[in-house]
Amino acid sequence: MEADDLGRVFEVKKRPTVVALSGVSLRVAPGEVHGLLGPNGAGKTTLVKILSTVLLPSTGAARVTGHDVVAETAAVRPVIGIVIGGDRGLYGRLTARQNLAYWAALYRLAPAEGRERSEALLARVGLADRGDDRVQSYSRGMRQRLHLARGLINDPRVLFLDEPSTGMDPVAAREFRAIVRELAAEGRTVFLTTHDMAEAEAVCDRVTLIDRGRVLATESPTALSRLASRNERIECAGADDGVLQRVGTLAGVERVTVSADSARIHLETEAAVGEVMRWLVAAGVTSVRVTRPSLEEVYLDMVGDRGMGI
Amino acid sequence: MRGLRGAARLQFQIVRADRGYLNEILANPFFAIIFLGIVRAAGRRDLTAYAVVAPVLITLWGMALEISGDIVDSDRGVGILEGVVATPVGFPTVVSGRVLAVTLLSGVAIVETWLVARIGFGVDITVHHPWALLATVVVTGLAAAGTAVIMAGVFVLARTAKTFQNSLNYPIFLLAGVIVPLSFLPGWLRPVGRMLFLSWSADLLRESLAPAAMVDVIPRLGIVLALGAAGLVVGRAVMHVVLTRVRILGTLSFE
Repeated sequence: MEADDLGRVFEVKKRPTVVALSGVSLRVAPGEVHGLLGPNGAGKTTLVKILSTVLLPSTGAARVTGHDVVAETAAVRPVIGIVIGGDRGLYGRLTARQNLAYWAALYRLAPAEGRERSEALLARVGLADRGDDRVQSYSRGMRQRLHLARGLINDPRVLFLDEPSTGMDPVAAREFRAIVRELAAEGRTVFLTTHDMAEAEAVCDRVTLIDRGRVLATESPTALSRLASRNERIECAGADDGVLQRVGTLAGVERVTVSADSARIHLETEAAVGEVMRWLVAAGVTSVRVTRPSLEEVYLDMVGDRGMGI
Repeated sequence: MRGLRGAARLQFQIVRADRGYLNEILANPFFAIIFLGIVRAAGRRDLTAYAVVAPVLITLWGMALEISGDIVDSDRGVGILEGVVATPVGFPTVVSGRVLAVTLLSGVAIVETWLVARIGFGVDITVHHPWALLATVVVTGLAAAGTAVIMAGVFVLARTAKTFQNSLNYPIFLLAGVIVPLSFLPGWLRPVGRMLFLSWSADLLRESLAPAAMVDVIPRLGIVLALGAAGLVVGRAVMHVVLTRVRILGTLSFE
């Protein structure tokens, strides 16, 4: 999957023009789980909708499995699955099985094949026992799992997931991540948008940070951490104030930040790691570890902490 | 065909789950009472066939119109429309399949009207050409399913389908000679009426109730089908243009 210089502008009468995407270029390899991370209004859903043929780009081009998403929709649509809109996108008065049978027909699956896939997918998302219940009786998390099953009904090579785990409880979210890893292991390409840093770190091979319609960076979660901070940090617990003050004076130490029950020592050079570790151990501090910034810290560092602003 | 069948099956399931879709069928006996009452009050028993056929076609067209609009409004409202558009089968086929299901269901209106005439007015409606009647109902359902794609295309472009639905009801019934005979319309309007498949369907249904031998049944059924097919072709073209437009505007969903 690739996007070249994609741009998307929304023009609404009597309102300012909105630039949702600008110069977005991406490459996603087959079998890769690629995360799209960004704040509200960053352009994540717009990008997913363009790649899944629902929206047309204003500029640029994109190809999925080698086919242009504008000129070759007939070749793109059978091989993609889309899960957009969280728990929406289902007929609430119908059962899960009826919903899946309908979507199977829209992908031209033979009835028997559709039934077979529906049963396998309901089992996969843990809804086999509730398959004959109306969807309107489902919890939000159950509807999202059914929505995921709907997105997989055509056995897609590329799966688009737009904030698929929002609203899931922690257990369901963990199960969902396991399913995403299974899908990748089966050779499918998964393109998922999320706000959940832990989810992105857990399942994504690479992550693209996007803000105000522009790509800020595309790297593996680990590489992104290095981008945000080239230097190591040491976290320790149980060190008293005197020890921490003296650590702050050691060569190569940039600063020391203290929280309720631990301290973080920011280093100017990687070479300082050994010396500081030795010093801490000698001072009787045994709970010590070297860390890198989490994806959440990278996100806040690159996107900026703008509170509730967009 | 799998997409068409799947869409028709879905509509049957939706109707079973939500009886609100049967409003047109429930309203049919009232239309039958009105038309049969008018004919009786006017002492025009010769127009009984009109009074019987009108509510049937009103129900059929009303359901086609209702569903083609509802598919757009409700599917858009719950975020399904985007997903449907992104499937290989495509939206026009879904509209045709779902409308075909409800127009075939509207065949119930024939039985309802027969019962109203028999019980309410003591009029015995004899179907002298049952096969012609059955064939007309089926091809009329197919033609409505084809034509509905044009309407759904227009509805996709609009923010709500209701306004268009309301304006497409009675003008069509009048133009197609469903309520009053086409011969009652000004001469220049009659060719317009003949462009509507409902006018041919109405003639065939009325004649199927009369003892006189029917002529040119198959060619006229062919015209109904041809007009429905033309509606489908035009509808697909309209839908292609409209979907391209809304993919540009980003209004496939209203979030």
